[in-house]
Amino acid sequence: MGSLSRRSVIRASLGLAASGSLARPHIARAAATTATVWWIQGFVQEEDIAFRKTVTEYQKISGNTLDFSIIPFAPMRQKIVSAVTSGLVPDLFQNTPGEIIALYAWDNKLLDLSDVIETQRKEYTETALLSAYCYNSIEKRRGYYGVPYTTGVLPNHIWRSLVEKAGCKIEDIPKTWDAYYDFFKDVQKGLRARGERKVYGLGFQVTTNGVDPMNLFNYFLIANGGQNIVSKDGRLHLDDPAVREAAIKALTYPAMAYKEGYVPPGAINWNDADDNNAFHAKQIVMDLDGTISTEVAVIHNEDEYKDIVTMGLPLGNDGKPVPSQAGNACGLIPKGAKNVEVAKDFLRYFIQPAVSNEYLKTGLGRNIPAMPSIAKNDPWWLDPADQHRVAYVTQGLLGPTIPNFWVFNPAYAQVQNEHVWSVAWTDVMTGGMTPQAAAEKAFKRVEEIFARYPVAQS
Amino acid sequence: MASASVTLIGRPAAGRQSLWRYWQGGLHGSEFVWAVAFIVPYIGVFLAFVIYPVLYGAWMGSSPHLYSELFSDPIYQQTLVNTLLFLAFGVNLKLFLALLLSGFFMQPGWWIKTLLVIFVLPWAIPALPSFISIHWMLNGEWGLLNNTLYILFGIEGPSWLNQRWFALGSAIASHIWKWLPFWTVILLAGRMSLPQEVMDAAKVDGATGLRSFAYVTFPMLANLYLVLTLLATIFLLGDFNSVFFVSGGGPANSTHVLATLGIRDAYDMGHPELGVAAVMSALPLMIPLVIILMRKLRTAEVQL
Amino acid sequence: MSATTVSAAHAVPYSARRKGRAARRRRWLIRVATLLLSVVILVWTIMPIYNMVMVALEAEGDVFGEHIWPPKPSPRSFWIVVSQGYWYLEYFWHQFGNSVFIAVMTTLLVLSIGSLTSFSVARMRLKNGWLITNAALLTYVIPASFLAIPFYLIMNHYGLHDNPWSVIAALVTFATPYAIFIFQEYGRSIPLELDESARIDGASPVQVYFRIYLPLMAPALVAVGTYALLLAWNEYLYQFLLLSNKRSMTVPVALAQFTNSDQAPWNYMMATAIIYALPPVATYYAFRRRMSSGLTMGGVKG
Repeated sequence: MGSLSRRSVIRASLGLAASGSLARPHIARAAATTATVWWIQGFVQEEDIAFRKTVTEYQKISGNTLDFSIIPFAPMRQKIVSAVTSGLVPDLFQNTPGEIIALYAWDNKLLDLSDVIETQRKEYTETALLSAYCYNSIEKRRGYYGVPYTTGVLPNHIWRSLVEKAGCKIEDIPKTWDAYYDFFKDVQKGLRARGERKVYGLGFQVTTNGVDPMNLFNYFLIANGGQNIVSKDGRLHLDDPAVREAAIKALTYPAMAYKEGYVPPGAINWNDADDNNAFHAKQIVMDLDGTISTEVAVIHNEDEYKDIVTMGLPLGNDGKPVPSQAGNACGLIPKGAKNVEVAKDFLRYFIQPAVSNEYLKTGLGRNIPAMPSIAKNDPWWLDPADQHRVAYVTQGLLGPTIPNFWVFNPAYAQVQNEHVWSVAWTDVMTGGMTPQAAAEKAFKRVEEIFARYPVAQS
Repeated sequence: MASASVTLIGRPAAGRQSLWRYWQGGLHGSEFVWAVAFIVPYIGVFLAFVIYPVLYGAWMGSSPHLYSELFSDPIYQQTLVNTLLFLAFGVNLKLFLALLLSGFFMQPGWWIKTLLVIFVLPWAIPALPSFISIHWMLNGEWGLLNNTLYILFGIEGPSWLNQRWFALGSAIASHIWKWLPFWTVILLAGRMSLPQEVMDAAKVDGATGLRSFAYVTFPMLANLYLVLTLLATIFLLGDFNSVFFVSGGGPANSTHVLATLGIRDAYDMGHPELGVAAVMSALPLMIPLVIILMRKLRTAEVQL
Repeated sequence: MSATTVSAAHAVPYSARRKGRAARRRRWLIRVATLLLSVVILVWTIMPIYNMVMVALEAEGDVFGEHIWPPKPSPRSFWIVVSQGYWYLEYFWHQFGNSVFIAVMTTLLVLSIGSLTSFSVARMRLKNGWLITNAALLTYVIPASFLAIPFYLIMNHYGLHDNPWSVIAALVTFATPYAIFIFQEYGRSIPLELDESARIDGASPVQVYFRIYLPLMAPALVAVGTYALLLAWNEYLYQFLLLSNKRSMTVPVALAQFTNSDQAPWNYMMATAIIYALPPVATYYAFRRRMSSGLTMGGVKG
């Protein structure tokens, strides 16, 4: 797979010849070679177009060739798992799903890319830097095992027309956490009073499939003051009463909303796309869901696009701002990659603010930059003509953010993949458990999992 | 095949027996070369794509700590129960219904024939879209089934996929929906091949309806039915699609079976060895089934 | 039944009348039961299929709703699919071609490998050939999905990653044992003397295979060929695991993509599914009668 085909050599040498006259400030070595790249398929077509454009640009400038495949999410995950298991790896792929950066760094399967990070270090948000700073359990140290290039957070998506149909106003939505979500219960009551039999107020993904429920839980955990659940040194803090209380609250609110009938009953077994489908079909009034793909999906339908209101997070119940947990997509180079230099060179090129900006903009801004200067220097990102993007950039890039918990310890990735918290929701929603009992059961499992991932303390 | 070639080479090549005997017993010279050449493609396939993956899988799943990890996973225990229920209900319900329906479709009449043509549709339609369609159809809020119940009878149906037993039942029902036609057709072929004289004689002796079925038809079909049961069990053990697409293993991972758990552990959890171990843990059940089945298939005169 | 036996002991005219009435009532009951059962079977069979058609005829936003008939039925989704008018479907015909390629190649390989093997073992009586037949049977009873993970990994070793031949290899592996099995069973009905007399006339084994064996095996070849074709067309797990590029994917894999993204136009998905389902349905009905001659133990795996 990684071997050079005759054609690619010819292509590469032609490229080299063509680029000989161009300035190549970021090129470390001039030798033209090919790197194999697996890139994730976008949620909208424009993201794929953006990547193709970036690659074409890069090949022209560098003379290197990127042999890339654009692969959808589910097969990508399988490809990466088996590539890393069998040792036959490409030169560059992303952390799809996000946590593999922490899991593979732990197993010493990734290259330390600190030198690439170094070229733009000052530009990154602190969260973005932390997102790639993972622990290697073989070498017993942390390092930058990926190069972040975008940020994603979970905004609230709301149908204005449904809120108004219920006789409420968007402007009346309260500003603190519980009251904010309680508002949509009233909206649902209003809609029921007006004959809508099957429209639900809250689109919580209380399911055990996919990444949505994990994010939802973490957001509620953080909002209730539980962000210390895993500290930067990788230690679990379930002994901290504040964390325990926050976890119980994060289990209680969505589960109770479900039990009281404000969440579609089917949500307990939704797939990743189902909340979006229900939202687009106007069967749920609001959805707390990652990125503005929800909005971008209907960008060509102006009425609907304008009807959706994108909002950042409400304040905590204590009135303080709640940080959004941000996921940063990173480029990873696995150990055993054959063309490390080309892959690194491309990453250095790719994270230059100007290049990154162009890439993200072409992708309709579904993903926002990991560098604040990009949004500050290009008015496109905060152009008031697009309410969604403004709200999203304000929340995810300019507002307070924290990284995923698994960055500090991959045990949390295991907790999420096992859907320990979602199972606890289900225990409450349909298993007849109290939130406390469900939480205790979950805590026990979380502790068991963390016991398998000891992080050495210096 | 090494032993075969040794014995053949050791034998005097001279044709002291007729050609007929060579066809019967052994081959020589170019014939032997041809015979071997003819089986080489399959041996190649067998070695490359059966032996190698099986050994590779066995090697992957050989570490004992995988099994301790597996057994300590609460989901795995539920999965075992589900798999057994899936087998017990899936196989027996399906085959019993197939047996009854094969009798139903033996009836004369254009209506029955037309119905049979429609009845086999699920088998001919690719599994994936059918199961996804069933998944939506069973959606509690907006699915066709509950909408129909509400519009026709004013009943609010349950959320079929929200509760473990309903969801598992839905997956089993979907499996039956997809595969019932297939087994019915086989049993129908089996019934049609029953010697007509025996059936007529039974009729003359006054055996009709249930009694004829219990004392005449079924004993003659019993062997076939047994083999089908064994086969259906093995196939069902490997059925990935009906659980994966109908219930998705949910809610709360409570409806996984071994086939879907293996894929989940391997890819969703990023732990391929664990996935293989999950599947391998079915071997104690598989091996006896396979042995019985092979003996049955080799010895019994099963009409296929 | 017991009623009729008992009544036979009674006086003739009375019992005859009663018998006649009872028989008529029984016939009537059977007819009603048949009708009821037919309706149940019909609803049971049709409902998921109807759901597919209904979704395909709906507009995108109507898919979630409280109706049992599309509010504004329109064949637009079908047109979008065949004209590749949506970005998930931009390679639809290409992917359809992949499906056809894989199905045809699988069928040809299964037929040739299977018939050669059973010719060698059953007709030429290769010594210890039964070992192969037994080994093949052993594959036949391994659930296909159980080998999926190691199979996927070894495809890396063979350099067949993301290559249609890896899928063909998998399908051939799982379909050939069935073919060998059926060919041997069917071959028993062809007298060995035919081969023998041809041999005496100086025909080589290859000639016997082509001139005598294959023509006589035609019904079994059709049955197994249909089986292999349907298997390849319906298989999902291996195609999903082994093919990952949009251009190398087959239609089932592309279909599954609809379910794991944020934007899932189900009407297009179901329209795609219906179009994809047409060839196997047509194949099945075309060969239905011939298939019953070779029917059909292994049906379909996976």
